[in-house]
Amino acid sequence: MIPINSVLGLGLLIFFIGLFGVLFRKNLVIMLMSLELLLNGINILFAGLGRRLGSPKGSVFALFVIIMAVSEAAVGFALVLSYFREKKTSDADELNELKG
Amino acid sequence: MIAQAVFYVFAGLAVVSAILVVLQKNAMHSVLYLAFTVLSVAGVFFCLEAEYLGAIQILVYGGGIVVLYIFVIIIVNLKEVAREKRKLFPKVFIIGLPIVLLAEISAVIFASRPALPSASGTGVAFRTVAEELFSTYLIPFELASMLLLAVLIGAIIIARRKLLHDPD
Amino acid sequence: MFIWIPLFPLLGAAANGVFGIRYFSRRAVHTIGVGTVGLSFLLSALSFTGWTRSAVPYVVTKIYSWVPRSLIPVLGGRPASVSFDFALRYDSLAAVMTLVVTGVGLLIHVYSVGYMAREKSYARYFAYLNLFTFAMLLLVLAANLAVMFIGWEGVGLCSYLLIGFWFTRDAAANAGKKAFITNRVGDFGFLLGIGLLVSSLGTVDTAEISALVGRGALGRGTATAAALLLFLGAIGKSAQIPLYTWLPDAMEGPTPVSALIHAATMVTAGVYMVARLNALFSFSGTALTVVAYVGALTAVYAATLGLVQHDIKRVLAYSTISQIGYMFGAAGVGAFGAGIFHLLTHAFFKSLLFLGAGSVIHALSGEQDMRKMGGLRASLPKTFPALLVAALAISGVPGFSGFFSKDEILASAFAARQYGIWALGILGAGLTAFYVFRLIFLVFYGKERFDGEVKTRLHESPRIMTVPLQILALLSILGGYVGLPRVLGGGHWFGAFLESSTGPHRLALSGGTEIVLMLLSAAVGLGGIWAAHFVYIQKEGRPAERFSARFRTIVDVVRNKYYVDEFYNTVVVRGVLRMGRLLHWFDDHVIDGLVNGTAALVRRASRLSIGFDQDVIDGAVNGIGSLNRLLSSGLRRLQSGFVYNYALSIVIGIVILISLLVTLF
Repeated sequence: MIPINSVLGLGLLIFFIGLFGVLFRKNLVIMLMSLELLLNGINILFAGLGRRLGSPKGSVFALFVIIMAVSEAAVGFALVLSYFREKKTSDADELNELKG
Repeated sequence: MIAQAVFYVFAGLAVVSAILVVLQKNAMHSVLYLAFTVLSVAGVFFCLEAEYLGAIQILVYGGGIVVLYIFVIIIVNLKEVAREKRKLFPKVFIIGLPIVLLAEISAVIFASRPALPSASGTGVAFRTVAEELFSTYLIPFELASMLLLAVLIGAIIIARRKLLHDPD
Repeated sequence: MFIWIPLFPLLGAAANGVFGIRYFSRRAVHTIGVGTVGLSFLLSALSFTGWTRSAVPYVVTKIYSWVPRSLIPVLGGRPASVSFDFALRYDSLAAVMTLVVTGVGLLIHVYSVGYMAREKSYARYFAYLNLFTFAMLLLVLAANLAVMFIGWEGVGLCSYLLIGFWFTRDAAANAGKKAFITNRVGDFGFLLGIGLLVSSLGTVDTAEISALVGRGALGRGTATAAALLLFLGAIGKSAQIPLYTWLPDAMEGPTPVSALIHAATMVTAGVYMVARLNALFSFSGTALTVVAYVGALTAVYAATLGLVQHDIKRVLAYSTISQIGYMFGAAGVGAFGAGIFHLLTHAFFKSLLFLGAGSVIHALSGEQDMRKMGGLRASLPKTFPALLVAALAISGVPGFSGFFSKDEILASAFAARQYGIWALGILGAGLTAFYVFRLIFLVFYGKERFDGEVKTRLHESPRIMTVPLQILALLSILGGYVGLPRVLGGGHWFGAFLESSTGPHRLALSGGTEIVLMLLSAAVGLGGIWAAHFVYIQKEGRPAERFSARFRTIVDVVRNKYYVDEFYNTVVVRGVLRMGRLLHWFDDHVIDGLVNGTAALVRRASRLSIGFDQDVIDGAVNGIGSLNRLLSSGLRRLQSGFVYNYALSIVIGIVILISLLVTLF
């Protein structure tokens, strides 16, 4: 009924939109949001394939991905907050202190 | 038929919203569109008869993460939006890379491949998912809860004001 | 018993040489010096009598084993094997020679006591003289060529030492050098000859060589070569053409030395050697002819030189050269015995001539130039008769020893149909008589040409000098009768005696021919005396002066010894010096150049190696370091600390991985 290719295509599309966002936005917060998009795209893929294969594993994995997303968001925000307190800016380009 | 049309509506909404998320200058606007995207994706899930997933999506993503983003934006207080041009790397390379990746994966996915087993038609029942979750994937499930706990603590530690160093 | 003969002079030489110079009194020195030779003479006489009585042909005594059988590599052939011992041989020839050496030597030693009475280096003189006697005895008693060569070299050495006895004089030192070096040229031939004999016959024993040659073990060519090489040694030692130039210069030495070494003994060693190896020489007709002609030509040539000398000793020196030429002439026609006979008589009258001359010089306080002598007949009543006897003997006047020996030589030459040799001999005889009596007349007759101061010190020599003169004079008369030829009623005992060593020899002449020849040579001799008398007594030398004036060029050439010395000097001496300089240049530039060049090369190579080490090796090491630095600095840029880049890297990594997956699946 729902063509699997469309699902896969949708998932990929959203994934790559998210990828573009990560690579092309300087704003940290927006970067993180794009990250969420990435994960959403993955989830779509999982769900679609799970349905296609008639396996619950798709949903299970998608669930775990959501959990990961939540954790990563929380920690990421905490980092951004502390970083922002130091630097008074949320410009990703200023993230250069990891220089070895 | 109907299902397909609904799916395509939700799909289209999701894509558009996603694009808008990435392209907004104002972070608050991005968050809004993100919320929209999340809801659209949840709709897609429902179309794919992954109800549980859709429900979780709305609850966690929409209710939790988006709200979290809003709070962060408020606290971080993004005012200025700097130029969005990257200066350090050739733009072509950066644009090209994801395109290449997309092309590759598309080629893989849409090329001839061993046929998937015929669509079962119905989706996977919620019951089955739950059973799978609590039997085969029990340990990861428990570990996930531990992770959430750790994240909780960790985030608080990371984000708290360091009274010793802070000049305030 | 005979082996002890050489021992005493050796001991005497050692004693006088080591201790005599410092510790011994003059009396001790000459007692030892003369006494040892006297003992040797005694032993020689005893050996002689003992041996003749025993009728053994020869005695060989080995003193010690010298070279055991050993292999000597030979150029281009199988190695020769040779072994020889230090052995002495006594036979008729050795007997004669030992008696001559010790007998005449004794007389001369005695004479020396007087002549060298005021000499400072008395002990050194007698030591050298004794050493010479030892070496000469070793030479004549040698059983093989190796021992003979020791003696050969020994007498050469002593000759050098004694000629240059007064070495502070440049002339004496140079004369000694000249003698030794000229000798050396001859010795070179001698050694080569020995070598040739060793390689072809495998022995150095004289008797063995003679036996092997007699059996035809030697090819004629090899025999000739060996004989000629050995003869070259004889030429050097016996002062024949072309190696004679050292003998006139050797007169720089004390007169007794001239008498002993350069009249009686050393210079006769060559003749002795030829006589010893008569088998070898006879076998090679060519060598024999060479010997004969060298001898005869030298005889005449030297006589011409003796005619124009002013120095009394030089006249006698050339006379010696000439007379030895006669001896070689005899050997060259196969009359080895005759040659030795003449050696004997010549020992008597020549040493007498020298000692007499020494007496004259002594009387005239050292004057040697005959132009400054004259009219000494009355002043030297003992010297004069003795010298006259000697002169008569050497001129071949019948009745004197020289007549018999010289005549035998001439007769042998004639009999062997070597008329050229004979003619040269006759000519030489005439010249000999002339120059020797020229000497007599110039010295003892005529006006006194010496200055007043010399005249006041004019004196006859002491008895210790005149007695040997008288003894020698007696021998010069009687000594010839041991060889009185049969044709004159004698038994030719001397020749017969020697035949056991020198091989049989029969004069193929009828008695008549022999008498005629004898008369002829007597006439020539007397003619020479008369001519000298005419020129120098009757005409008081004016003909000579006129002759010299008229034929000045020729006379000058002769007087200058035919410029032979100058020739040798330019060609040989300068040539050798030039070669020395050339070799020095070669050594300096080529050899040292090579050495230095090698050193420079090594230095450059080491610099190169350093360079290599520095640039290449160190370069590699440093290069690795630089490479490291480059890589790390490059890689370090990955760790920009720029988080964005890290994210980009992740994406890039994913791309790559996917690509890999795609391509592989």
